[in-house]
Amino acid sequence: MDIEKHDYEQLIAEIAGILRDVLNERAQNAGGMPGFSEGSASPAPRPAAASSKPTPAKFSRSSDPREVIIGVGPAFLAELTATLNGLPHAEVLREIAAGVEEEGMIPRAVKVYKTSDVAFIGKEAAELSGSGVGVGLQSKGTAVIHRKDLYPLTNLELFPQAPLMTLAHYRQIGQNAARYAKGERVKPMKVLNDPMTRASYQVKAALMHNRETALADTRRPAEDFA
Amino acid sequence: MSGNGLLVAGVDIGNSTTEAALARVEPDGGKRFLASSITPTTGLKGTPENVAGIMTALEMVLERAQMPKAKIDRILLNEAAPILGGTAMETVTETVVTDSAMIGHDPRTPAGMGVATGVLVRIDRLDSDAAAEYGGVIAVADADFGYERAARLINESRANVTGLILEKDEAVLVYNRLDRKICIIDEVRRIGAVPLGVLAAIEVAPPAMTLRALCDPYGIAALLGLGPDETRRVSAVAKSFVGKRSGAVIKSPGRNVAENTLPAGKMTVYGDRSLETDVDSGAAAIMAALESAGEIHDVTGESGTNIGRMIDAVKSGMAAVSGETPRITDILAVDTVTPAAVSGGLAGETRLERALGAACMVRSSGLPMERIAEELGRKTGARARVGGAEAAAAVLGALTTPGVFLPLAVLDLGAGSTDAAVLERDGRIRYAHLAGAGDMVTMLIQTELGLRERSLAELIKRHPVAKVESLSHIRAENGGVYFYREPLAPKFYGATVILKDGELIALGGDISPEKIVSVRREAKRKVFVTNALRAVKKVSPDAKLPYIALAGGSAEDFEIPPMLMEAFAEMGTTCGRGNVRGVCGPRNAVATGLVLAMED
Repeated sequence: MDIEKHDYEQLIAEIAGILRDVLNERAQNAGGMPGFSEGSASPAPRPAAASSKPTPAKFSRSSDPREVIIGVGPAFLAELTATLNGLPHAEVLREIAAGVEEEGMIPRAVKVYKTSDVAFIGKEAAELSGSGVGVGLQSKGTAVIHRKDLYPLTNLELFPQAPLMTLAHYRQIGQNAARYAKGERVKPMKVLNDPMTRASYQVKAALMHNRETALADTRRPAEDFA
Repeated sequence: MSGNGLLVAGVDIGNSTTEAALARVEPDGGKRFLASSITPTTGLKGTPENVAGIMTALEMVLERAQMPKAKIDRILLNEAAPILGGTAMETVTETVVTDSAMIGHDPRTPAGMGVATGVLVRIDRLDSDAAAEYGGVIAVADADFGYERAARLINESRANVTGLILEKDEAVLVYNRLDRKICIIDEVRRIGAVPLGVLAAIEVAPPAMTLRALCDPYGIAALLGLGPDETRRVSAVAKSFVGKRSGAVIKSPGRNVAENTLPAGKMTVYGDRSLETDVDSGAAAIMAALESAGEIHDVTGESGTNIGRMIDAVKSGMAAVSGETPRITDILAVDTVTPAAVSGGLAGETRLERALGAACMVRSSGLPMERIAEELGRKTGARARVGGAEAAAAVLGALTTPGVFLPLAVLDLGAGSTDAAVLERDGRIRYAHLAGAGDMVTMLIQTELGLRERSLAELIKRHPVAKVESLSHIRAENGGVYFYREPLAPKFYGATVILKDGELIALGGDISPEKIVSVRREAKRKVFVTNALRAVKKVSPDAKLPYIALAGGSAEDFEIPPMLMEAFAEMGTTCGRGNVRGVCGPRNAVATGLVLAMED
């Protein structure tokens, strides 16, 4: 018991150290991070590099009720190319899209830049989607199925333990999203839970999320992502 | 207390509930009812464990009469009829597929539509010599072939590929990538057992339709070039495709589908006339035998057969309760169906198999109600005794329903039995106890819907169902649409739900509300309408009853009383829910009747 406790404290200290280093580095490079700047209640100004030129919205809305949008995070297939447990982003996206397609619906991927929060990525995808149902996917692999008429922090289904996910799970997420869009009963997914996951992946998860958050730009609209 | 007359409680111990009625009996014999109560029965009916439930019922009734400290002078217990009911179910048919003769399941998303024939060939051997000999080939792909590879192999093949059978759920994915569209069935779990190199026919029905060619023996004969003898043999295959959306038939000698009827066995009825009957022809034969036997003393079934197992199951269950060898005095047999896995199926097929359900009424020697009365007397200090036959008390109680008169029949629709009693103008009472009531309805619902839990069948019996159509609204079984202020939990999405007093209970699987409603109504009709007519025939052979009052737990059901009203309206009988003392509804008839019948 004591040993475990010791390990845990050490782990926390490690994470804190890494986070501090990352933040310091970023503060030097870009002059502070929104939400992470110490002592200041108002967000620091945006880094100039990330928002120098306004990007034209390349997303064109479709009113096809069969459309299910998969929203990916800002770092997806850019800064990051694989999920927490090493599944290549391209394959994860392909499986979700295949799941949607098998159910007779039309998958479409967009990149969400506004946020790195999985709930808000999912909500954004749902709002853009012709069917009103969307999938939110963070670069670290955490996924959510959302609907446009739900509050951001409520959702249809959340798959929080990214390290336990397999490609088959992502296929199933796509199928379930499509079934929500069709108004059909979804196939219950096995709840994956491993108490060790949190400890083993905490540092990596924090780092990945940080890199994705650094790319978030609240003023940049979502874009089609092929 | 005696200055104000006696405080008297009537207590009715039932199989599932214990009811009490409290009244003040004036010295001149006038009776004034003060309150009534109902509580679950503790222990098995007729055992000393009942006392705890009775005490609860008495406390409740005193509380409601606003005299919690008062002492009850007399307690009258029902003299329970010495009968117990039990139910049993046995499957009568089984379907066996020999040597993978067919695939007939319902994948949610097959692709393409129409009929195709061809030789079964592994998808990576499409251009082999064997495949080239025939006009067309049906490709078979196991889970190792992903949709992209499967589609590429077919697109690149020189063979005339007419159809595809997949292990994975990827029919639409492959279909979307094909240059030339074909029929595809998927989710065939035991794909390894599909034989290769033989002729087969596959069919996918158009949207909203079911199979047409494969569920017709001549359709299969035309597709596979069968002769008259082979066509006869294939008719069981055709039958098992009825209602399916996709399927495959494989032509090969020795492969077939058999529907076996399990030997139902012989049943012997010992009655006014003793007779032996073969029950292979189902419930109707059993009911006919019982009717012609007159008064029944016992029934036995041939051991090792269906009927033998059912009767033994009921008897051993009853023996455990009463501690003696029980004798069956009535049976209600009902033909039913139950979904069962097809043995030898390739894709987890299920079929509705015929089954026989039976409720049996068992006579035991009297229940030890006197012992309960003694114990109750010790605990309360009241004079407790067994007050009179249940049936007589029930009619007396029901007679307090506004609007009825003699001759009056009471149908007590309970959980274990349907009891009937008729009170003539001259005071004569005739009664009958019949097997089959609420528990039998629950069993039929559970059997026909293939539910794992009995408690779910019980809920379906008691409450209406609805379909959750969006996160904010449901469509009830009567077509009404109801909205919710807060979004419903996602687990209800698209689900069929039971509406239990405003609460939603989701049903697993894909059972539609329409199916549930039809099974539920049919089960109630099969048990209660049949039994009500049987009961009336027994207590009133000339069937001239002006008034019938319904009593018991099942009389509170939302659709059983209307069904009975309809059935009796044809006979010119006024039938309705009893309303004991004008306030209790169909409950409390026996408890009230016990007090009314008190003589001193």
